[in-house]
Amino acid sequence: MMRISASRKLFFVINNLILIALVLTMIVPLLNVLAVSFTTDLESYENTIKLFPRQPSIEGYVTLFQRVSILRPFLNNVYVTIVGTFLHVIICSMAGYVLIKEKFFGKTILVYAVTIPMMIPFEMIIIPVYITVKHLGLMNTLWSVTIVGVVSTFSILLMKNYFEGIPKSLEESAFIDGAGESTVFFRIYLPLAKAGLATITIFQFVVKWNHLLTAILFLNSPEKYTLQIALKSLVVSQELTSTTQSVANNTRMAGIVIAIVPLIFVYVFAQKYFIKGIMIGAVKE
Amino acid sequence: MLYLLILPAVLYFIIFTYFPVLNGFRISFQDYRFIGASKFVGLKNYIEAIHTPGFWRVFGNTLILGLSNVILTAFIPMFLALLLNEVQFTPWKRFSQTIIYMPHLFSWVIVGGIWIFILSPNSGLINILRSFFGKPSIYFMAKESYARTIMIGVNLWKQSGYVCILYLASIAGINTELYEAAMIDGAGSFKRALYITVPELVSTLKVVLLLNVMGALRIFNQIYVMRNEVIAPKIDVLMYYVYDRGLAQFKLGYASAISVIVFVITMIITIISLKLIKYKI
Repeated sequence: MMRISASRKLFFVINNLILIALVLTMIVPLLNVLAVSFTTDLESYENTIKLFPRQPSIEGYVTLFQRVSILRPFLNNVYVTIVGTFLHVIICSMAGYVLIKEKFFGKTILVYAVTIPMMIPFEMIIIPVYITVKHLGLMNTLWSVTIVGVVSTFSILLMKNYFEGIPKSLEESAFIDGAGESTVFFRIYLPLAKAGLATITIFQFVVKWNHLLTAILFLNSPEKYTLQIALKSLVVSQELTSTTQSVANNTRMAGIVIAIVPLIFVYVFAQKYFIKGIMIGAVKE
Repeated sequence: MLYLLILPAVLYFIIFTYFPVLNGFRISFQDYRFIGASKFVGLKNYIEAIHTPGFWRVFGNTLILGLSNVILTAFIPMFLALLLNEVQFTPWKRFSQTIIYMPHLFSWVIVGGIWIFILSPNSGLINILRSFFGKPSIYFMAKESYARTIMIGVNLWKQSGYVCILYLASIAGINTELYEAAMIDGAGSFKRALYITVPELVSTLKVVLLLNVMGALRIFNQIYVMRNEVIAPKIDVLMYYVYDRGLAQFKLGYASAISVIVFVITMIITIISLKLIKYKI
């Protein structure tokens, strides 16, 4: 027996109109990019709104892989992302496990040692980090972009949170059976913290896949380039500044599409972990 | 054994965070060279920074862009979350949430690339729409007057979905009894939003403001990707300046001095805002 007032109806309409407009401002640019990436070279320069290619074509993608040779940076990126994410998950969960232990010698110092770096933005130490990487002989290697940024306080604290939720009785019985710390960690804690592992894995996946600043700093030869830095010169080349603007719009948009697809894939399959991670992140930081 | 498990993380932070912080501080007092001895020059780099007009220009740009980002990406997503919260049809609500979060996943190269294309003079969506209404085409990315608005707007486009989800999650945590009591008292949905939801969101707003403030002086990727020589004077920011002076022109001591200045300012602003918003860690 709800009576809906006229003003309520009006609000309902306006509210949904605003939301539709909002969703369109997010979707239309993406559809436009996708459509242009599948046009012919010629059509990609036309002054028409393209949300669907008139003559679907893969010319853009062919140019991207043959003439722009994006395959090498793409594979480099896959390598850096997989190795970097794997190391990140292992190192951060090991550290998180240590932090749940009852008082032990040096615990306070270790807690500070891994928490303070959260206050130090990477952008503000690029010069000395550059020098460190140079001294370590890592300049222009894929290891440089894999290692720098491989540990984060955020993930350590997130794993610590998950481990704290695991009942102590489990580890106690394992210790009585004579298991060591590493056995308890790998056999009991890691398998029981799958949701936490999933969260830091996908977050680090996105971070590594999108890494740009470290590539700008440490990589200087095209065969070492990772995806973002290779795409930068292609995708954002503005007619105004570039003298050799010979790549058609469809190729530039194809570059964007291949960089987005893995992200959307991960997002669609792991959405619940994203939301969870965002919340914990905001509370923790 | 326990120490061995945490060793990699600690070692990483020593090599790639603590040592660089100290080293950067030291270099800022030097005329640093890669080869040969670096000479200590006292405060010369700092004095040079203060007397360089270019430094103050990027400082001003950073403040303008940073402050706009801090405010807009805190309040607009809050407004959006309140609107989304009134949607009754769950699949539509979930769909729009999913969509507006998406740009946050993309790198700045992608987001910059998308918007430079959309704003481009001939085949860009905006100018096609303009010509449809008989208006002349504008080369947005080559106009100083549009530069900052574009940077702020695109940043909002990228980040607002993420911040919006923070608010929505915190709305979901509000005690429903509050709303029921308000409905019995005859409060309409507008009053309920204003007197129950908004006050309950204040603590989330504080967190968002704090995160935004800490990020404000770090802006780099967006500018690196979207800048060009025409609009650079309006949008070059501190961190881009550090990168350019330090690693393109190899004035490492000078660039380090500026990093130290920015770092100290960030710390001061963070502490002040912690005090202002009475944030309890």
